Amino acid sequence: MLKVENLSSGYGNLEIIWNASFHVDDGEVVAILGSNGAGKTTLVRTITGMVRPKSGSVIFNGEDLAGKSSRTILDHGIVQVPEGRQLFTEMSVYENLEMGAYNKETKARLGESLEFVYRWFPKLKERKNQAAGTLSGGEQQMVAVGRALIGLPKLLILDEPSLGLAPNIVDDILSVAHSMAKEQGISVLLVEQDITKALRMADRGYVVENGKITLSGTSRELEENEHVKKAYLGI
Amino acid sequence: MEIFLQACVNGLLIGGFYSLMGMGQNIIFGVMKIINFCHGEMLMIGMYLTYVFNTYLGLDPYLSIPLVVVCMFALGALIQHTLITPSLGTKSFTNLLFLTVGLGMLFQNLALVIFSPNYRTITTSYSSKTLSLGPITMSLPKMISFIGLIIVTIALFWFLKYTSTGKKIRAVSQNPIGAEVVGINSKRIYIITYGLGCALAGIAGALLTLFYMVYPMVGASFSFKALIVVVVGGFGSIQGAFFAGIFLGLLETLSSLIVGPTYRDLTVFVTFIVILVVRQMIKMRRR
Repeated sequence: MLKVENLSSGYGNLEIIWNASFHVDDGEVVAILGSNGAGKTTLVRTITGMVRPKSGSVIFNGEDLAGKSSRTILDHGIVQVPEGRQLFTEMSVYENLEMGAYNKETKARLGESLEFVYRWFPKLKERKNQAAGTLSGGEQQMVAVGRALIGLPKLLILDEPSLGLAPNIVDDILSVAHSMAKEQGISVLLVEQDITKALRMADRGYVVENGKITLSGTSRELEENEHVKKAYLGI
Repeated sequence: MEIFLQACVNGLLIGGFYSLMGMGQNIIFGVMKIINFCHGEMLMIGMYLTYVFNTYLGLDPYLSIPLVVVCMFALGALIQHTLITPSLGTKSFTNLLFLTVGLGMLFQNLALVIFSPNYRTITTSYSSKTLSLGPITMSLPKMISFIGLIIVTIALFWFLKYTSTGKKIRAVSQNPIGAEVVGINSKRIYIITYGLGCALAGIAGALLTLFYMVYPMVGASFSFKALIVVVVGGFGSIQGAFFAGIFLGLLETLSSLIVGPTYRDLTVFVTFIVILVVRQMIKMRRR
């Protein structure tokens, strides 16, 4: 479904991502792992059109989307839950979710999408008239995931969903993401620092170090890899 | 008591103009984080447009408002697209400062060239009619302007709260990255926002023309007052600007009633400084 080939990108003259290649298949949960500053968010922003790639291709369902506008990429069904959530803090929960409907199709299906989101996150229905900025961190993350789901993603990208959240809430969010892939057929690209948790959810993973993909394999393989154990799992 | 009531009504009227100017400024500031220093000149252009439509086309000043809105929105959109959006990329505050201050000078001087520095007024058949509501007497044009200000303010709040474009404006203003994540084209929103800000200033100008003289420098004092409204009401806050504008208008008329017109501006600016100092002190204490 998503095939990234030799992708390089960065800001100005600064190159952050070097020749990244990876793929995500239908209904798969794939983790991109790496520590702070490894270039994970830049990678996400390049795939979603917020940063222009320097070279390489982002092939999604047979079409090359590299260098296209973020709106065009959304239209193809790649929707992200950005790092730091990026909610509209003074708007209500409902308005935030509504903003996730960006084109005719998603607007027409807003009603059923909202029902869908409220089914997964009943708390959001209770709080739909509350300003998003007054919610707890976990609830805000739910709004961010909900907003992305309203956009009817074919590929859902979660950028650092664990950031600043209590462990049990991270588990909730990740298990919802897992269900999306396994029950709803939405592929998930999970970008995470918390490698233990990410590998528990993901089918496969890639390790990013200093802007390069250095390792790849199934979650089991990565968990047992000596380098991963030493550098990330602290075993 | 009657004089006091009369002053309050006048204060609300002038405050309504300040609010409209301040809200326009704040919508622009919220979305682009720039201060539009030529906002007063937009009011001036709105006044001259109304004057021209009345003198050469015989249009009633109030009926020409839709036409003024269209012209001002187009002018604002053009300025945004050709001048401000390219400068925003440089992220330099001084560039944008000089740009909007310079535009203000350009428009003032263009008005001088085209219309000369002479004061101009519009008179209509109803210019000198007055209305009495109990103890309060008001000229008919002022009454119409007052109602016009209320309608425009309500329409603006409704637009920002309920329309899709209004929501997008708020979204870009609250979180530009979040806005891009949900596919909002921020450049398009910039154009709409600046056009809207200019149109609001234009409406203020049109509503002002029947009882205020039109001259090239007329915008300067309004520009300044709008800036006070923005600072007191809080940068980027539409509601804040609304209340600050009304407050400033009331303060002006009531202070000229109580301490005399000579000390009006003194009272206004001393209050302004006191508000800034007290607010800063409260902020310091919270930390």
